[in-house]
Amino acid sequence: MLIKKLKDFIVTSTVLAGALVFTSAVHADDLKSIKDAQEIRIAMSGQYVPFSFVNENNKVVGFDASISEALAERMGVKVTIITTPFDGIIAGLLAKKYDAIIASMTITPERQRAVDFVGPYYHAGRTIVVKDNSSIKSFDDLKDVTVGVTLGDAHDKWARARGNLKVRSYKGLQEMLVDLDAGRIDALVMDSVPVLVAVKETGQKVRIITPPESDGGIEGMGIALRKNNPELKATMQKALEEMLADGTYEKISMKWIGNDIR
Amino acid sequence: MDLTLIQRTFPFFLEASWITVQISVLALLLGFLVAIVLVAARLSTFLIFRSLARIYISVFRGTPCLVQLFIIYFGGPQVGLELEPFAAGVIGLGLNIAAYMAESIRGAIINVDPGQEEAARSIGFGRGQTLWLIKLPQAAKLMIRPLGVNAVALIKGSALVSTISVVELSYTAQRFISSTYKPFEIFMVSALLYIVMVYSVRFIVDYLDNRFAAR
Repeated sequence: MLIKKLKDFIVTSTVLAGALVFTSAVHADDLKSIKDAQEIRIAMSGQYVPFSFVNENNKVVGFDASISEALAERMGVKVTIITTPFDGIIAGLLAKKYDAIIASMTITPERQRAVDFVGPYYHAGRTIVVKDNSSIKSFDDLKDVTVGVTLGDAHDKWARARGNLKVRSYKGLQEMLVDLDAGRIDALVMDSVPVLVAVKETGQKVRIITPPESDGGIEGMGIALRKNNPELKATMQKALEEMLADGTYEKISMKWIGNDIR
Repeated sequence: MDLTLIQRTFPFFLEASWITVQISVLALLLGFLVAIVLVAARLSTFLIFRSLARIYISVFRGTPCLVQLFIIYFGGPQVGLELEPFAAGVIGLGLNIAAYMAESIRGAIINVDPGQEEAARSIGFGRGQTLWLIKLPQAAKLMIRPLGVNAVALIKGSALVSTISVVELSYTAQRFISSTYKPFEIFMVSALLYIVMVYSVRFIVDYLDNRFAAR
């Protein structure tokens, strides 16, 4: 009887000790694994001119890509750019397929529940684009019409939250512009910069309507990281601030946008 | 129609097609091996094997391939399964097509003239021997076309792996459309390349059919 009790005690305490060891397993900050691998993997959509898109040589370039390269250089590691559709991009981050997202992602309270943000690394305005001959003349006319948005982005949520719009989600801006021309959507809601670049290329006749400040006039874009990595967050924030101060950022911004969009 | 654009981007589309071909071939091989196991289970005398195989086939045919890919790629890490996009794509597509291939194979076996089985059993062949020596060689001829159909479905379905960041033919097309604003030319090129792949399968299926199933 005594031997049995002793054996029980030993087994139970071993199990409990084992459990404690596992629960107290220390989670190393992502910064360490990045430094160890000498490489940071950054994801973007690759379908978002002029922020991330492929050039004639099938290489991903653009504002987001250049910022990624500059940040990696400052951190002393190599950068690997991964393209993945925008609607699955946070899922990929949380599943550790890459280390950061630099994909013109708007900082929203909802996203902050899932990820941490470094930045903002630029600001953009929400714009509404309609055909030149559209009956929508001002922001107040934007009700009970069909609008196009990119699946899963901040404009998608904003448009749905309005409650008085029919929302069609698309994979990218190009498809939206085609449908706008075809009349399948009455307007599209997008960040300002890509739209201006796009219509310059396609020569479509459109009108831009800027919503008032309260409806997301200007928004900040952030670099998304997994939560609980304070060292990585601090390192990237510092690198970004250095870039903003010493002219690197300005050079990148001028090259791709023609304006300083910080 | 911007022909110079097609000329300039064509090499990249060929590279991307090669990725599609690799994923398709590997997924088909994986699918075929799993399908054989599934068919063996389905025809087993043990109820547990038959049931498990039926459940597998129901689940993989009854849910969208896209959802299966997401579960394997994005949900995998939560149960300790870390996969590169390419690997997740091959496994996801392979496990999915296995369910369809299993039915193609089983259908072929069932459609072998029942007289063959009766004759074999009556001269003393066991269940396993009948299957391996008599039924399968005859079923092989019958399963060529259905498996060809599965292969074509897989090649077209491989476009889904673009959602888990594999840069194959469809995703490459999407990226180029974004930077060139010429959806028509780009989609034409990618469609043509898919047709080439599908017709290659058809060519192989026709050849095998004529060679082995000459009636």
